[in-house]
Amino acid sequence: MWTSLNEFDRMFQNMDLLRRRMDRLFPETERGWAGWPVMAEVNKWPRINFYDAGDSLQFYAEMPGLSEKDISVKLQGDFLEISGELKSQAPEGYSVHRIEREAKSFARSFSLPVQVERDNIKATLKNGILSLSLPKAESAKPKQITINPA
Amino acid sequence: MDATKDIARKKDISQSPELTQQGPTLTPVVDIYENNDEILLFADLAGVSKEDLTINVENDTLRLTGNRNLDAPGTAYFEEFCGCNFHREFSLPQGIDVERVNAELKDGLLKLHMPKSAALKPRQIEIKAE
Repeated sequence: MWTSLNEFDRMFQNMDLLRRRMDRLFPETERGWAGWPVMAEVNKWPRINFYDAGDSLQFYAEMPGLSEKDISVKLQGDFLEISGELKSQAPEGYSVHRIEREAKSFARSFSLPVQVERDNIKATLKNGILSLSLPKAESAKPKQITINPA
Repeated sequence: MDATKDIARKKDISQSPELTQQGPTLTPVVDIYENNDEILLFADLAGVSKEDLTINVENDTLRLTGNRNLDAPGTAYFEEFCGCNFHREFSLPQGIDVERVNAELKDGLLKLHMPKSAALKPRQIEIKAE
């Protein structure tokens, strides 16, 4: 019986190794609690798309049912945090058949890969999608370098 | 972005609209509530606008079909949600008043009111003493 326990251990160790390797695919873009990397199962809501558009960084967050006052977007240095609360919208006097959308508070934070201009950040909320446009600081924008003939 | 009006109440036997988008089909999450007068459904449909959503009530089946397109400006660091189609079907009890079904789509949240016809409302049955 002890040998078969050992087998399980080894199997789990291999899975841990695989998971650690995969976590390293997204290094440092997401900080969880106390700076440790976030586990895959935890804290993936709201879902976020993050693009580099040359002159700016673009964030899109999928947050249906939330209005501007339920969401807070904070930028501290190179650290962006999107947080808020999805309140339960159960109407009064109704019995409940099914709830798949739970009330919860959320917070996701990112360290930005480049410097951004803090004063020109635009955030819009449309159809439940939050769009954040963060223009890059001048020094961080891509620059064409001319090649001089020798 | 308020959109309080009847969206689509088709009672004909047409098929779901042809899917011209590529992309996966997702099932939107819903909450369903009920009181004496109506059944109320909330559905999470982020990124879907009124024009891209079809609600079909026919033969005791409720069908929600929609799609959304997303901007993808530049290279992605990561993408956790995508442009996609939505589809979900429910069986309805008999006795929903289809004429009075109405829906509101705001901030990516669909609120669908399905009033019950008089036959479905709870009725106190009087017991006559003999």
